[in-house]
Amino acid sequence: MVVKRKRETTVVSKPQAKEDSPPPVDNAQDVFRRLFEAQFEPLDLPGPTAKSTNSDEEENEDDDDSDLSGSEGDWDGMSDISDESNQVEVVEHTGTYAAPTDRMDKKTWKAFMSGKLLSDLDKPSTEPEPTSKKEEEEDAHESANLKHDLALQRLLKESHLLDSADDLAPTGKNRLKALDLRMQSLGAKTSLYAQTKMPTAHRRGIKAKAESKEDRRRQEAKENGIILEKPSKVQKSSNNGRRDRGLVGSSVGKFSGGTLNLNKDDIARVQASGRRMGGRGKGKTRGGRGGRGGSKR
Amino acid sequence: MATSQPPLRFTSHHNLVYRLVLSTLTGRTVHISQIRSSSPTNPGLAPHEISFLRLLDAITNGSQMEISYTGTVLVYKPGLVTGSTAGTGASGGMITYELPSNCNRGLSYFLIPLCLLAPFAKAPMKVLFTGPGVITSSTPTGDMSVDSVRTAILPLYKQFGIFNNIELRILRRSNTGPTGRGGGGEVQLVFGHQVRLPKTLHLMNAGRIKRIRGVVYSVGVSGSNNARMIETARGILNPLSPDTYIFSDVASAPLVPAPDKTNPQAKKKIGLGFGLSLVAESSTGCLFSADVASPPSGGQAPEEIGKQCAFQLLETVAKGGCVAPAAVTTMFILMTMGSEDVGRLQVGRDVIADPNVVQLARDLSKFGAPGWGIRDAPDNGDGDVIVSVVGRGIGNVGRKVA
Repeated sequence: MVVKRKRETTVVSKPQAKEDSPPPVDNAQDVFRRLFEAQFEPLDLPGPTAKSTNSDEEENEDDDDSDLSGSEGDWDGMSDISDESNQVEVVEHTGTYAAPTDRMDKKTWKAFMSGKLLSDLDKPSTEPEPTSKKEEEEDAHESANLKHDLALQRLLKESHLLDSADDLAPTGKNRLKALDLRMQSLGAKTSLYAQTKMPTAHRRGIKAKAESKEDRRRQEAKENGIILEKPSKVQKSSNNGRRDRGLVGSSVGKFSGGTLNLNKDDIARVQASGRRMGGRGKGKTRGGRGGRGGSKR
Repeated sequence: MATSQPPLRFTSHHNLVYRLVLSTLTGRTVHISQIRSSSPTNPGLAPHEISFLRLLDAITNGSQMEISYTGTVLVYKPGLVTGSTAGTGASGGMITYELPSNCNRGLSYFLIPLCLLAPFAKAPMKVLFTGPGVITSSTPTGDMSVDSVRTAILPLYKQFGIFNNIELRILRRSNTGPTGRGGGGEVQLVFGHQVRLPKTLHLMNAGRIKRIRGVVYSVGVSGSNNARMIETARGILNPLSPDTYIFSDVASAPLVPAPDKTNPQAKKKIGLGFGLSLVAESSTGCLFSADVASPPSGGQAPEEIGKQCAFQLLETVAKGGCVAPAAVTTMFILMTMGSEDVGRLQVGRDVIADPNVVQLARDLSKFGAPGWGIRDAPDNGDGDVIVSVVGRGIGNVGRKVA
């Protein structure tokens, strides 16, 4: 046993030493050998420098074996087996498992660690690329469709302008009219070409004509038993009746040069009306007197 | 509803949670007696059981529970499962539920039964678990981690036609506290798919394992633990399934208030540790999970945890069948609540021989469900059995009224 242990130690330690620092050892040995050879005859030892480490090991083992074979023959087989098993173990150990090279990317991590269920995650992980391609195509398709839609809508809206024209893209007068329509559809309050100023008689005529048209339409509908929408309330302008003239329009006195001038008559009238008012107020409580006051005046 | 029927009588604290769930789903009053009555030190209901009763109270409307003075007798009269409707303790459509610090069970103890009730609720079930008792990791008491619930239990509902708008978010992680109780996690469950009846299930082909996914978590400890667990677990699993990925999550330790005389605002770190949750998915969508976390007392190397978990996963898969032991209760209860049709499920012999499953079968028959038909699976050398379960066809009472 003692012998075996010794062998093992030699076997293990040798390659280590070689692996750790082979060149200096070899150099030193070479130097010594050259010195030796210079003094004596050349050596025919196998040069360790020329050979690979593996063959070297084997040779060493062989050497050891031959040494041992002199003392005990039985140990050879055993030790051979043990050597082999040792070697195999070493090989297995060095074949390390290199795992952490393939870490998941952050996106997958987030997808997995979110609250969603595992089954939900499978679908998006396989789909996204094809969908993105599809989406791009669809987007292009969609925009083309939208363009066509717009053209169609315009055509429908402005078709009445094109009755005479045979061209889809209107020109001249029609173009201006179409532009105007588009402006209105975009929110313009009145047509660009609505006339703002015209003689009153002219405007009245237009108004009257429109009214008569509407009346006729309603009349016809009534005769034919068609129910129409209720007539929109005619919006009366606020300044239709009396105009507010401010101080200038005061009913008493005369306004001139920024002052209201009252003559005696005016003052008397105002005072009288005030008394009358007061009388009326009292009249409600007392009765009859206000009327008398009024008659007095 | 259940007024005319006498209460069903049970004894002992075993399977208490599932008895209460079945009671709520079927509308039968239960009377459970002799709850730890033989224990001289801790008789009656345990803190986590009380917590579960409070949770039931929070998500149902009109349920009554009476607990005897010693806590050894419980009478539970179920109400309707309302979910998180406004006006029933829900704020912003979310029920906030706080677990006390003396809770020593993982959150999955509450989550799995809650998920069983959620499809039969009237409104979407949205519950936020907070408080000093929320443990998201797996625990020494045998509860799985919340990650496993998300990756291995909730996807099973898809086979019953329940799949929309289900989310389980882990807002804050926590391992078990130093004495095996308490944590500081925060978990949000959104279960937005309510059905009248779950679909009938026929699952008889386990398929082959096609991928393995997992989550490693370190709470308040170095993230290198994660790498070490992943390395060991993958070293075992990669030669068997090349599609193995384990995601790593490093979180800081949660802080829970720990007021003392000098500083009433004091807080302490709780729930330090690390753990690993693995899920194997087969080609037919069967899920097998394994969970190991570092013990609260510490003293286990991450390599050991990773190795244990990988071997546990292999063991679960080796048990065969289409369902992992952790999910078999969920599957059977959902099948029983299904339409009046025979559903079939292939399970491993070891899985169905579990005492909990046998107890569940007995409880189900006591609740009026027809017995299970069990026969050997044809041309299967693994010794799997096919269990035929007839649905009760009652389904969602709240849905019917609404």
